[in-house]
Amino acid sequence: MSASTAPFKVRYKRSVGDPDLKPRLLEFQRSWRESRDAQVRRLEQRTERSFDELRRDFAAVKDSTLERMDDYIAEFRGNAEAAGATVVELSTAEDAINYIAGVCKSRGIDLVVKSKSMVSEEIELNHELEQRGITAIETDLGEWLLQLAEERPSHLVMPAIHQKRQYVAEILGKELDREFDPDDIPAMVASARDGLRGHYLSAGAGLTGANALVAETGSIMVVTNEGNMRLATSLPDVHFVTAGIEKLIPSWADAERQLQLLPRSATAQTLSTYTTCITGAQPGKEMHIILLDNGRRAMRDSDVIGDALRCIRCGACANVCPPYQVVGGHTFGHIYTGAIGLVNTTFHHSIEDAAGPQGLCVSCGACETVCPVAIPLPKQILEVRHRSHEAGHAPLWERAALRLWAKPRLFHHLMGLAALSSGLASLVGLVRRDHVRLPLPKRLRWRSIPALPLRSGQTLIKSRASQAAITQSQAAGQTVDLFAQCLADRLMPSSVDSAARLIEAGGATINLPESQHCCGLPAFDAGDRATAGRMAKQTIEALEGSDNSVVTPAPSCVIAMQEHWPQLFSDEPEWLMRAEAVSGRVHDLAAWLDGPGRLPDGCLTATVNGSWTAHRFCQASNRGDPGARIDLLVERLTGDSARPLDEPDVCCGFGGLTSLAAPEVGEGILERKLDCVAASGCDTLITNNPGCAIHLRAGANARGDSHETLHYADFLAARLPRNL
Amino acid sequence: MTTTTDRTASFAEGLEAAQGELLSCRLWEEIWRYADSLSDETPVVAPAAYEQLQRGDLPDASDPLRSIADRAVGITVATLAVAETGSVLLLEPAPVDRAVSLLTRHLIVAVAEADIVDELSDGFRWLAEQPRAAAYATFVTGPSRTADIERSLTIGVQGPSRMTVAVLG
Repeated sequence: MSASTAPFKVRYKRSVGDPDLKPRLLEFQRSWRESRDAQVRRLEQRTERSFDELRRDFAAVKDSTLERMDDYIAEFRGNAEAAGATVVELSTAEDAINYIAGVCKSRGIDLVVKSKSMVSEEIELNHELEQRGITAIETDLGEWLLQLAEERPSHLVMPAIHQKRQYVAEILGKELDREFDPDDIPAMVASARDGLRGHYLSAGAGLTGANALVAETGSIMVVTNEGNMRLATSLPDVHFVTAGIEKLIPSWADAERQLQLLPRSATAQTLSTYTTCITGAQPGKEMHIILLDNGRRAMRDSDVIGDALRCIRCGACANVCPPYQVVGGHTFGHIYTGAIGLVNTTFHHSIEDAAGPQGLCVSCGACETVCPVAIPLPKQILEVRHRSHEAGHAPLWERAALRLWAKPRLFHHLMGLAALSSGLASLVGLVRRDHVRLPLPKRLRWRSIPALPLRSGQTLIKSRASQAAITQSQAAGQTVDLFAQCLADRLMPSSVDSAARLIEAGGATINLPESQHCCGLPAFDAGDRATAGRMAKQTIEALEGSDNSVVTPAPSCVIAMQEHWPQLFSDEPEWLMRAEAVSGRVHDLAAWLDGPGRLPDGCLTATVNGSWTAHRFCQASNRGDPGARIDLLVERLTGDSARPLDEPDVCCGFGGLTSLAAPEVGEGILERKLDCVAASGCDTLITNNPGCAIHLRAGANARGDSHETLHYADFLAARLPRNL
Repeated sequence: MTTTTDRTASFAEGLEAAQGELLSCRLWEEIWRYADSLSDETPVVAPAAYEQLQRGDLPDASDPLRSIADRAVGITVATLAVAETGSVLLLEPAPVDRAVSLLTRHLIVAVAEADIVDELSDGFRWLAEQPRAAAYATFVTGPSRTADIERSLTIGVQGPSRMTVAVLG
């Protein structure tokens, strides 16, 4: 079994065991980001429109085409057939394979040269044709290398990005029976020319994909860089086109819209080298256009996932994905890789094939920000996770942990017990710098175990006098309900207390709603919507019954309440109403301190810590939530500038349950983050989500990094005047 | 209103960004002199360009691969060029024209300066209005390239490794 077709667990182990993969993909992601951003900026300047406007325009074209799919298929078919092509609409992978094999058999064709086609990968065409005595040769260099190595693409656009040059030299050497110097990449590239040219001459058919099917003329448009597609469609007598029905667009004007977005998002090129448009069969030749469904209509008609059919296969979602950087596409995906692969695999393949990598997604939301057709990928991945959970693919430990978490009392007692144990550990000298020094298994050693303080955040607040107001904000005189967040309350209680003090500093009074526990986010993230629903209802009951604003130091809970709750209660109108009544009152602390509870500029100038920098909670940043820019808030209040930090919005690797389910992924992403933090030279790292703060602190502790990690509420509250 | 000079300058910029080269000239004769100076071998000329050039080797249409593959210099002609992207639009319904633009090592594409349009959308609009043109039309932007091995950019894979656009002013 090859590296890319083994069961998920085997693939996972292999990719985390490859020491070269992470650094190579990191370098790739960073350089892609830089050149893609420059391309997008130029496009925005030239068109005087924002990326968001441009992508929403083209997404609207895709949506309306998908809605009237059958009309456009009929138009495309009419025009293509008038130009001499044969157009067939086929439902399944098997139908497509049989059709292609049938045409080959009847024409006596036993060799097919292929240009890159993801649909042919989707249906595993090469393998199936081989079974029927027909040889298919890939002619795109990357695809050819994969074929020689019996692998699948690990990226939509850079299919062989996982292969090392030493490995390439080895497989090329075997195929062409000569020695290659791994450092002489041009020589290896040139060998493709010699190795493949003979095949073009002897092949009876050429097969390509299509980046777009243009209905108004019945044309196909294909975007490539090497030129092999033009050879494969010029020399053989038969041209097969395999394309998903979602590739239809109405007109050439739409093709141009697609081209504004595709090469810039895929390879960060203004335009790829060859943009080829072919209409109909060439004189004396045959053209067979296979329009494949293979789950696409079902996908279109599915509530949350339908928009994924807009995909133009640029691969951008993988290029910004932190877990993809750690494990690569053979693990983060099935045949389709990256975020889109976590979604569409369910429809083109199966929920079993989609289930494996679900737990690797950290829900940071970076994919959606760069998607050139604005697919709501994070929301869709959560939907697939839900389906995968329903189908029984969730690990047992996860289900047990969530069931426990859902019981506020039990959770409370267990946390109390953990705090007591931490206290005992401290007595016997096992606690150093707030972490318990206990031996951990090797794969967990990258983080230390946080020692739990004895008193919870809510206890701290109750046991002190209120903070004196330093200003009369809009919220002065109001009572604010503080939602402590379950994790922060026990693992970072000071941040909860500090949040309360900052609210009080604006003249408001703190109320701690009884029996508050967890908004349901961990269960929702794991796809366990039944448990998430129970937890959400419990929180709604705890918070309803007043008109007070609710403020929390945890932006993740705000997102859960405002975005996930409506999904949880879509079938329970009464609960939906109650949920929305509560979530409408909720504010993230940072947004509060800039909004109703605004503290004045420069009110917290006392020097407490040295230099600082800010890791901005990825999910809130990628959504553009109010309050996400804590660096600006802290600069405004303290008058102190942040140290520049690279990739301030890239995930820290906590990812809810991800760092527990896939520790190597948590470790890899954390390493990327902590390397940036170390390079910033800061004394203090601040961040806004308690989960991130706990994770970043435990990781820095294990590495022995010298900086301190704080929730920004602690950083700010330390500068408040103490009550006399 | 964009002037011809602006358009040509922008075209040159796009072409260079795609590793292509620009040759400004007034006469087909100059293109020939340049092409002929590149190698001892006689340049091979696509039938589409032969009409104007009237010199060079016409390839054997019945065996394009053998008569064209890896020839040092090829010459063809573009219908229009796009200032925004540095691309040229080749209309090549006949495989033999395609073979010249794809299989020679150094490709020279002639285009009239008056045929440089501002944007890719102008190019597509032109294409949409000429139903026959899209039989086999390619916007070519620089020489063939790949980055499939360790993302190392290599110019000249299965197509030309050098591309010069001769703009006829």
